[in-house]
This record gives sequence, structure tokens and C-alpha cells, in this order.
Amino acid sequence: MQKTITRRELLAAAAGAAALSACNVQKPVAPARVSVVRAASYDQSVYGTVRRLLDEHRVEVTGRNVVLKPNLVEFEPESSINTNPLVVHAALEALRARGAASVRIAEGPGHRRNTLDLAEAAGYFKTVPHFEDLFVDLNLDDVSRVNPPRQFSRMKKLYLPNTALGADLLVSMPKMKTHHWVGATLSMKNLFGVVPGGVYGWPKNMLHWAGIEESIADLHALFPRQFAIVDGIVGMQGNGPIQGVPKKVGVLVAGADPVAVDATCCRIMRIDPMRIGYLRLASEEAEAYISERNIQQTGESIASVETPFDLIPEFQSIRLENS
Amino acid sequence: MGTMSIDELVGRQNRDGGWPYIRGASWTEPTVYAVLALWAAGETEYARRGLRWIVRNGRTDGGWPAQPGIDQSTWVTALVALLPPEQLGQEAHGRAIAWLLGMTGEESTLTYRMREWLLGNSRLAEREPAGWPWVPGTAAWVGPTSLAILALEREHSRRPRAEVRRRVEEGRGFLIQRMCHDGGWNHGSVRALGYESRPYPETTGQALAALRGVRSAEVEKGLTVARRFLAECRSAEALNWLRLGLLAHQELPAGYCAPAGVTNRTLPDGSLDMLVSAVQAGSDLFWS
Repeated sequence: MQKTITRRELLAAAAGAAALSACNVQKPVAPARVSVVRAASYDQSVYGTVRRLLDEHRVEVTGRNVVLKPNLVEFEPESSINTNPLVVHAALEALRARGAASVRIAEGPGHRRNTLDLAEAAGYFKTVPHFEDLFVDLNLDDVSRVNPPRQFSRMKKLYLPNTALGADLLVSMPKMKTHHWVGATLSMKNLFGVVPGGVYGWPKNMLHWAGIEESIADLHALFPRQFAIVDGIVGMQGNGPIQGVPKKVGVLVAGADPVAVDATCCRIMRIDPMRIGYLRLASEEAEAYISERNIQQTGESIASVETPFDLIPEFQSIRLENS
Repeated sequence: MGTMSIDELVGRQNRDGGWPYIRGASWTEPTVYAVLALWAAGETEYARRGLRWIVRNGRTDGGWPAQPGIDQSTWVTALVALLPPEQLGQEAHGRAIAWLLGMTGEESTLTYRMREWLLGNSRLAEREPAGWPWVPGTAAWVGPTSLAILALEREHSRRPRAEVRRRVEEGRGFLIQRMCHDGGWNHGSVRALGYESRPYPETTGQALAALRGVRSAEVEKGLTVARRFLAECRSAEALNWLRLGLLAHQELPAGYCAPAGVTNRTLPDGSLDMLVSAVQAGSDLFWS
């Protein structure tokens, strides 16, 4: 039987080859700090855990405008598809306590237009007092034109919501999930939600035509003031980011460098971050902030929390054991 | 349903004559829906201000941007083309229709199909019926295709033309092909990597509205899904489109009222609610 090579396999092979060719690159970089903390369930203890995470990273927000960007995808409150509202509320309270001038919650789902209805179904109205007053639908927010500074993708210009562009700190708060096009969706892929559907539609198909991995890297470069808190208490494995099944991991992962945070999450999921195309693109140097030696990890060791996520057949090659 | 009053709609008109989605600057989509709703309610003064805003923001290629300052004509051109030519102006309306007729999903273009053929991914003769994209240069999807069909169908009822009829029929073929396995429509992805995708209420309503007058087993499956959604759904946007989709096939239960507690979240939700209520009361706003 003739074996044909899929585009995904070709990308994985290219990433692997690039990883091999980069093995000798030893340029030192200042380590990025990433915290991995246990959080067994969505209960009141999450508030203290998130507060301690921000303390540990000395997140300075006094007098600043902060935007929390959760991942809201579908009307399935019982599934693990959306970032849990308790984690988002915990971050909101902790950032307020640290002196933020304003903390808003903002999201622009990729498929569903009725964002507030989706947020209500996901439990945000119940969990976050005055949610509607705090929330900005990034799909419908006023926009400004920006030019991606690195131009990884074919996008020469992009219109982005003023709420996200004007934030002094953008806190990406994704769910820890597998993704059927790019392997894993974490804090960097979560930035697809800042691209306005009001301009580009539902889905934001322009990003796919411009190159998914490259668009993720472009968006990452457009938001230099970020912090990431990944909801890995219960993630999604298998055919994520929509049709996968819940996977309990019991962790929150946080840090100021999204590349390092996402690489750490991959290792927890037993995915090789070197084989995630957008991580490699976004990394300044061949291995910077993907390599473990450039990540100053605190809290739990990866070995103590690692939880292999089921991967669809097309992505078996990105499993750490297969690398 | 938390309905929006005409006074509230008028009160939220921006000084420039347009409307925002919720607050802020004016956008094309909420302005078109507001103008249609106000016109249907006989509030012509505010509707005219909105129309002037729309006309001012048309682009030289005949299309409209989502918001002034965005340098690309997009899917909102279909909404503008829904406005009657006598309101929008014959020339502007004609150019909007021409823009729609010239637009297809990128996968239907000869350039793309040639490339796929050269890469060995498809046969040159293979071609899915053409739909409409959200933005030029990308693939066709259910939402913009449904809106374009509504606009062109209305145009065809005024000025029958073979070209318009052909695009309407092809667009309907696209919708039928993009129906979910068990009926209904989502954004337009029937399956991904072999996994069946589920339908959404709002896009099911949109597609059914665009398939008005079509009798087929697929439409019947879609109507079954729509009736189920109508009983379960609590989103105003989705219920507006479901009502319109079911009305298009005379399948909305007589005297239907949306459940209590459903809230219009945006200005387009409120305007569309008014428009669909007018259709429910016998107006043919969307069809003639």
C-alpha cells in the first residue's frame, strides 16, 4: 500500500529536523520562571492558589489596566471545553487586591456569535459578580489597525480590539487542551480569541489561510505585556479543542512568558514542545524558553504531575515518548 | 423575551447616524438592522440618518467594510444589499449586488483549484457549489452564504436575472452540502478529521431562511433540528434566526413566544427581534 505523507506529518518532520539542527545552539538566555501548582478541584481554595501564584511572580499591576482573556468556545457547561469561571474570578480578585486600576474580562469566541449567552451557559454570570459590566466581547469591540512586528504569517495588517491593545497587562487564561490542527491549545493559541469576528467572521478563517501556526506566533508578538495562567485542573484530551473528553490533571501553570508556560504544559501533557510549530516560531532563538534548561520552574516537578493526554492518530508523533 | 423598544433603538443611535453593536463607534451590521427595523416601524427620520451613514461608508469596489476605516469590503455587503434600492439608492444597491455576484469562497476560484490540482490534492473538475466568505480570499461559510442568498433572492424577486438565480441556486447547493450529518447547520464544518460536527441553532435558522421555498429531505431534517432547538435554546440571537428560518417554511408554531428571561444582548439582536416579529405578523421584509 502506498504511504502518503500528510501535511501534518510533513510539518512534524520539519519541526523534528529543525530541532536536530538546533541541538548545538547554546546561546544563553535569562531563564523564564514558570510555576506549576496543584489545584485538585474547582473550589474555594483556587482563590488562595491564584493569589500565591501572582505573589510568587511579583505581578506588578498597581494603577494598571488588566484584561483577563479566558477561553470560551461552546455551550457545554458540563464539559471541559471552557476556562472554568472560578479560576478567572480568582485572578480578577487577586489582581484587584494587588492594586490594578481596572480588571476586565474579555473574549471573542471563534464559532459562536452570542458570547454573553455562551458565558452565561459556562457559569460566568453566576460566579463573577457584575459579570456583564466587567465583560467585553472582543468580537464586537472597536478596533485599531496594527502591523505584526515579526510577520511570521502572510498577515501584513490586522484589526484588533482596542480593549486588548490598550491593556497594560493581558492575562491569557486558557484551558489545557489538545488541538486537532496544532497539537495543543494553551496560552498562545488562546490569543486567536482577540481577533474580532465582527471584522473577520465566525470562524476567523483568515487566520487559517494566513497559516495557523504562523498567525499564533504573530499574535504572540503583538502582545508583549502578557501573563499566562493555564487552567489545567481539568483539561481536554483526544479530539480537542471541542470534541475531546475531560482529563483531570489537577494543576494551574503560570508565568510571564507564554512560550515557557506552554512548553511546560506540553511536558505535563507528555507532548514534545519542540514539535509544536508555533512554539518554535515564537521562540526568539532555536530553543529559548522551550528548552527545560531555559525555564526556571517552581512548585511541583513535571514528573510529579505529568498526565499523558490521549492524542488523535494524526498527532501520535508529537508524544514525548515518540520524539 | 427582553425586547428592545423603538425608543431605545433610537436613543442608541450615534451622532454620526450609525449604531454600535453594544456601545462605542458605529458598525455596518448593527446600522443595517437598525435601519430595517426603524423603517418597518415607520420611524423614517432616524432610519434616513442611518442610511446616509451607510451610503457614506460604501467603498469604491462596490462593497462595504465592517466599520469605517477598515480597508476591505466584507460579508456585511450582503446586509447592505438587503436594504431596498429605493432607500439605499439604485446605484449603490446595484454595486452591492455586483460585488456579491463577483465574490465566492476562495476554494471555488480557478486559481485555488488549479493549485490544488497541481499539488495532486483534487481533480480540476471537482468543485463544490460556490458559497460566500466572511472576508475575500478565504473559504465560504454558512453565515455569509445565507445572508448573500437572502439579499440576492430579494434582488431576484425585483429584477429577475439568470446570473442572480444561478448564484442563489449554487449557494443553496453549498448549504445543502454543508448540512451536519443528523441535520441542521453549524458555521460550515461538517466534519473535522473524520469526526462529525454538531449543528448550532443560529446557523440552522440562517440556512433555513436562505432555503425558503426548497423542498427536500435535507430541509426536512433541518426543520426537525430547528424545532428541537426552538424548544431548548435560550439565546436571543439564536431564537431570532430560528424563528425566521421556521417562518420561511411556515413551520413556526402559531402564536409562538420566546421564553421569559431571554435577553437581547446586542443592538443587532434587538433589531432582528423586531424584524422577525414583523415577519411573524405578516410582513414580507426579508422575502420581497
